[in-house]
Amino acid sequence: KPTKKGKPRNIKGRGGSESEEEEEEEEEERNYRGGRGRRGNVTAANKKGARRKDSGSEEETPKTQKNRKNEKSKKNDSDEDDKADGRQKGRNGRKKADSEDEAGKKNNTKGKKENLKQNSDTAGSSDEEAITEEELEKLKEDVEEKKKLISTLRNKPWLMNRKLELLKEAQEFVEKFEGVLGKGKGRRFYAYKVMMTKKWLKFQRDFENFKSSCIPWEMKIKEIESHFGSSVASYFIFLRWMYGINMILFGLTFGLVMIPEVLMGKPYGTMPRKTVPRGEQDNAMNFATLWDFGGYAQYSVLFYGYYNNQRSIGWLRFRLPLSYFLVGVGTIAYSFMVVIRTMAGNANEEGGGDDTSFNFSWKIFTSWDYLIGNPETADNKFASITTSFKESILEEQESRKEENIHLTRFLRVLANFLVLCCLAGSGYLIYFVVRRSQKFALEGLERYGWWERNEVNMVMSLLGMFCPTLFDVISALENYHPRIALRWQLGRIFALFLGNLYTFIIALMDEINLKLEEEKVVRYNMTIWEASLYNGTLAENATAPPIEVDPADVPRGPCWETMVGQEFVRLTVSDTMTTYITILIGDFLRAVFVRFFNHCWCWDLEYGFPSYSEFDISGNVLGLIFNQGMIWMGAFYAPCLPAINVLRLHTSMYLQCWAVMCCNVPHERVFKASRSNNFYMAMLLFILFLSTLPAVYTIVSIPPSFDCGPFSGKIRMFDVIQETLENDFPAWFGKVFSYASNPGLILPFILLMVLGIYYLQATSKTYKAANLELKKKLQSQAEENKKQNKKGAVKKNEFEEPPPTNQSKQQQSAQDNGGEKKDNKNMGGSEAEKKTANQLGTSPSQTPMANSGVNGVPPPINRGARLAAPPRLAVTRPPGPRGYPMPGHLPGQPRFPGPRMPRGPAPYR
Amino acid sequence: MFVCFWLVFRMVSPAIALAFIPFLLTLIIRYRHYFLLFYRTVIVRKIQDYLTGITREERAFQYLITHAIPGDPDSILSAFDQWCYHVEYLSNVGPVKGKILDRLIYENAPINVLELGTHCGYSSIRIAKALPLGARLYTVEMDERNAVLAEKIFRLAGFDDDIIELIVSPSDEVIPQFKETYGVDKLDFVFMDHWKRCYLKDLQLLEEYDLLQEGTIILADNVLFPGAPHFLQYVKNCGKYQHKIHRGHLEYFKSIKDGMAELVFMGL
Repeated sequence: KPTKKGKPRNIKGRGGSESEEEEEEEEEERNYRGGRGRRGNVTAANKKGARRKDSGSEEETPKTQKNRKNEKSKKNDSDEDDKADGRQKGRNGRKKADSEDEAGKKNNTKGKKENLKQNSDTAGSSDEEAITEEELEKLKEDVEEKKKLISTLRNKPWLMNRKLELLKEAQEFVEKFEGVLGKGKGRRFYAYKVMMTKKWLKFQRDFENFKSSCIPWEMKIKEIESHFGSSVASYFIFLRWMYGINMILFGLTFGLVMIPEVLMGKPYGTMPRKTVPRGEQDNAMNFATLWDFGGYAQYSVLFYGYYNNQRSIGWLRFRLPLSYFLVGVGTIAYSFMVVIRTMAGNANEEGGGDDTSFNFSWKIFTSWDYLIGNPETADNKFASITTSFKESILEEQESRKEENIHLTRFLRVLANFLVLCCLAGSGYLIYFVVRRSQKFALEGLERYGWWERNEVNMVMSLLGMFCPTLFDVISALENYHPRIALRWQLGRIFALFLGNLYTFIIALMDEINLKLEEEKVVRYNMTIWEASLYNGTLAENATAPPIEVDPADVPRGPCWETMVGQEFVRLTVSDTMTTYITILIGDFLRAVFVRFFNHCWCWDLEYGFPSYSEFDISGNVLGLIFNQGMIWMGAFYAPCLPAINVLRLHTSMYLQCWAVMCCNVPHERVFKASRSNNFYMAMLLFILFLSTLPAVYTIVSIPPSFDCGPFSGKIRMFDVIQETLENDFPAWFGKVFSYASNPGLILPFILLMVLGIYYLQATSKTYKAANLELKKKLQSQAEENKKQNKKGAVKKNEFEEPPPTNQSKQQQSAQDNGGEKKDNKNMGGSEAEKKTANQLGTSPSQTPMANSGVNGVPPPINRGARLAAPPRLAVTRPPGPRGYPMPGHLPGQPRFPGPRMPRGPAPYR
Repeated sequence: MFVCFWLVFRMVSPAIALAFIPFLLTLIIRYRHYFLLFYRTVIVRKIQDYLTGITREERAFQYLITHAIPGDPDSILSAFDQWCYHVEYLSNVGPVKGKILDRLIYENAPINVLELGTHCGYSSIRIAKALPLGARLYTVEMDERNAVLAEKIFRLAGFDDDIIELIVSPSDEVIPQFKETYGVDKLDFVFMDHWKRCYLKDLQLLEEYDLLQEGTIILADNVLFPGAPHFLQYVKNCGKYQHKIHRGHLEYFKSIKDGMAELVFMGL
C-alpha cells in the first residue's frame, strides 16, 4: 500500500525524452499486469518474471541511463527532499517486491526501477481503491506544486523545449489527479466541480469568440488593418460607427414617423397632398422621374409634403405631427450626444504624457499574439507587425530630422497660397453654376438638357473629387510628417466641402424664398378658384355639401419643404454614385489595366506611371462626414434620408473593403492614426453644428407651407408643441411650462450650466496633471528597479551555478508566493535572504532570477488556473517572411515583393 | 487630353469642363518629370534632327571632339555627362548608376565581359576603364551608324581592339555563335543596356548556350523605368540567380526612379 506514494514523484522525475517515456509506459503496463498477478494469479506473475528475466540483460543499460536521467531531472527540479523520500519509498517497495516477487531480485537496479514503476501504476489504478489520509495529503500537495510550477514556469531560466515539456507533463498530471482528490461522494463532487470549471472556462472563451464574431465586419477590418496599417483601418472603423448611428436614426424615423403614417394615416389618393397632380400623372411612373425623386416618389411617405396635419391618427390616437417634430429634434439631439460622448471617451484613452519611451521594446517583445491559431491570421498578424514597425521607425526618423527651415517655411507658405487660390476658384465656379442654374430655372428647365439641369450636382461632385488630389499634389511641397500632412489635407478638403455645401444651401435659400413668393400667388388663386367652385354650386343648390373634386385636380402650392428634401436626397444619391463610379473607374479599372497590360507594355506599369492607387483616407473620411452633414440637414424634410444613408453605408462598406483589398496598395509612407480618431470626431461635431444651423433656421423662421406637411396651417412649425401642451396636458402643466420658459428662469439656468462645465473642465485638468505625475513616478521607480536588477545580475555572475538545491527551491517558491506582495523596494530584504542562503551553503543563483521574474515582468495572471488544453496546441510561431508566389506585386499586398525594397528612402537619391 | 477638355467645354457645359481643371493640374504636376522627359527625348531631338540634319549621336560626337581631351576616358565621360545634362538627352548609364557599374567591375575583376547595347560607347568606356589587365570587353551594337560612332569614340578614348571588341549585329544573333567566333568559354560579367524587351530573351539565350558560369554577374540597366517586368519576374522565379536591385534614378533625371538589377548566376 505505501508504494502508491511514490507515484507523483516518479512522474515528476520524468524529465527525459519522450521516447523513453513511452518505453517506460510500456513497461509500466507490463508491471501493472505483473502486480495484478502478484495479488491474484501467481503463475501469471511467474510468467512475467520469467519474461523479465529474459529481457533483463538487454534492458540493463537503458535502464541505468534512465535512472541517471531521473536523478538529473530531480536535481534540476531541485527537489532534494522529495527525491530522498522517493528513494526510501522505492527501497520500501523493493523490500516488498523482494519478498513477493523473486524475479525482481535478480538485478538490483532493475528491481528498484520496477518498483518505482509499480508504485506509479498502482497509484494510477487508485481509482478503485481507497486512499489513505496521508496519501491524499501528499497527492494534494503534489497537485498544488504542479499548479505552482505551471504558474511560475515562465520565469524559470530554462530552455523553451524543456519548459514546454514540463508544462505539458504538469498539466497532464494536474488533469489526471485533480479529480481524484477527495473521497467517496466528495470525490465525485469534486470531479464534477472540476469538470464544470473546465466547461465554464471553455464556455467563457467560446462566448468571447462569439461576441467578437458578432461585431460586424470585424474580420474584414482586421484584415485590412494587417495589410494597410491602422490609418486605413481607422477609416473603416469610423464608417462602421457611422453605420451604427445611422441605424438608430433610421429606426427613429422609420418606426415613429413613416410606419405610423403608412399604417394609420389616410391612404394615397385621398387628399390633394397625397396625390400626384393631373399634369404630372402621365410620366409619374417613368424611371427618369422616379430617379429624380419626382412623380410617385415625391407624393409618398418619403417626403415631408405627404404627411397630413391631422392631430392624431388611427385607433392609437398617434400624434403624428408632434412625433414628426420630436423625431426631427431628437435626431439632432441624439447625434450631438453620441458624438460628444465618443469624443469624451477617446479623450480618456489618451491619458496624457508620453508613452513613447520604450516604444521599440514594447513592439519587439509584446507584439506577437500567441493565441493565433490560424496560419492565415498569423500571416496577417505578421504583416501588421511589420507595418507597425515601419510606422514607428518612420516616426523616429522623422523626429530626428533636421532641415533647411527657411526653405520649408517658404514652401509651406507657397503651398497654402496655391491651395487658397484653388479654393477661391472652386468657390467661384460653384457660385457661377448656381447663378446659371437659377437663370435656367427662371426660364423653365424644360428647355434645357440633362447636363444643364444637373450642372450644380455634377460640378460639385467633380470639384469634390478632383480638388483633393490637387491639394495632395500641392502638399508634397510642404514636406510634413504624414500624420500632420493628413491633418492639413483634411482641413483643406474640409474648407472646400464646406464652401461647396454652404454655396449650395445659399442657393437653396434663394429657391425657398422664390417658392414662398409663389405660394402667396397660389394661395390667392386658390381662394378665387374655391370661390368660383362654390359660386357655381351655390347657384344650383345652397344646401348641398361641398362638391367632390378629384384631389388630383386641386391646385396646390409649391411646398418648399418637399423641394428641399428632394434636393438633399438627390445630392446624396449623386454623391454616392460619384463615389462608387470613382472607385470602379479610378481604382478597379486602373488596377485591372495595370495588372494585365503590364505584360505587354513598354514600361513597368505597376511600379512606374499609373501604378495602383492608394487609399485616400482624408478624402473618404471627409466624404463620409459631409454626407452625414447632409443627412442631418435634410432628414427633417425627407424622412427617407436616413434609410438611404444606411443603404449607402452598407454597400460602401462592402464595396470599399473589396476595393481596398483588391486594387489598392498601402501608402508609401505608412503611419499610425493613433490620435486622429478624435480629430475626425471633432470635425463631425463641427459639421453637425454647421448642418443644424440651416435646419434650425428654416424650422424656426420660415412658415410651413399651407397645404402640405404635418405642420400645414400653423404659423411656425414648433407651434405643434404649444398645441399639444394646450390640448393633451392638464392646464397647470401648461402654466408651469410657460413659467419655466420665461427668460428670467432660463438665463440663470444657462449660467449655472456654464459654471458647471467650467468646474468639470477644471477638475479634469487637475486629474490629468495628477495622472501625469503618477506616471512619472512609476517610470522612475521602474528605472530604479532596473538598476537594482542589473546589480543583482552582476552579483549572480560572480557565483558559479551549482545544481539548485531543495532549499533554494523552497525559497524561490516562497518568493513566488510572497514576491508579488513584497514591494519592489524590498530588494534589500531579498539580498539579505541571499546572504542567508549563502551561509546555508545553498546556491543563491535562483534568487536574483526569481526576483527579476517578479520585478521585471509581472507574473502571468491566472496561469495556474488554466485547465484547458495545453497551450502548445494554440501556439503559433511568427512565420518567416512571406513568399510571393505570384510574379509582380499584387494589389492589396505590400508593394515590395521579392527584391524590391520599400519605396521610401533609397540609397541613391 | 486637352482635346477632350475642349470637347466637354463646347459640347456639354463650360462649367463642367472647368471642374476638370483641378484634375488636369494634378496630372500635370504629378507627372511633370515624365512630361519633361518626353520633351527632351522626343521633341527636342526631332527639332534638332530637323535643324542640323544629323542624328543625335553624331551631334554628341561633335560635341565630344570639341570638348573632350583625346586619350583621357574620364574627360570623355564627363563631356558626355555635360552634353546630356545641358544640351540633349542620351540614354547612357549616367554618372550615378555608372558608379555602381565601376564598383562591380573593380570588385570582381572579370576577364571576359559582354556588353549588350553599346549605343555611343559611354558604358563601354566606363567598363574598359575599370577592367583589369588582360581582360576583354565584347560589346554588341545593332545599329551600324551608332557602331561607327562608338568605334570612333573608343579610339578617341584610347582603347584599342584588344580591350574593346565591337560586334555589329543584333544580340540574339551574336550570343549563339559567341563561343565559336570569339573562343570564349564562359563569361564573367554581362552588362545589359539594349532593348528592354530583349533582356529576358538574351538572358535565356546566355543560359542556353552555356555562357554563364557560377558567379557570373549580370547587370541590367533600366529595369524599373522604362522597365523590364518579364525579365524581373523570370529572375525572381527561376531560382538560378541571386538578385538584387540597386535603386536610383533615371540617368540625368533625378526625380524619375529607376534601378539596375544585379544578378549572380548560381549554377543550375
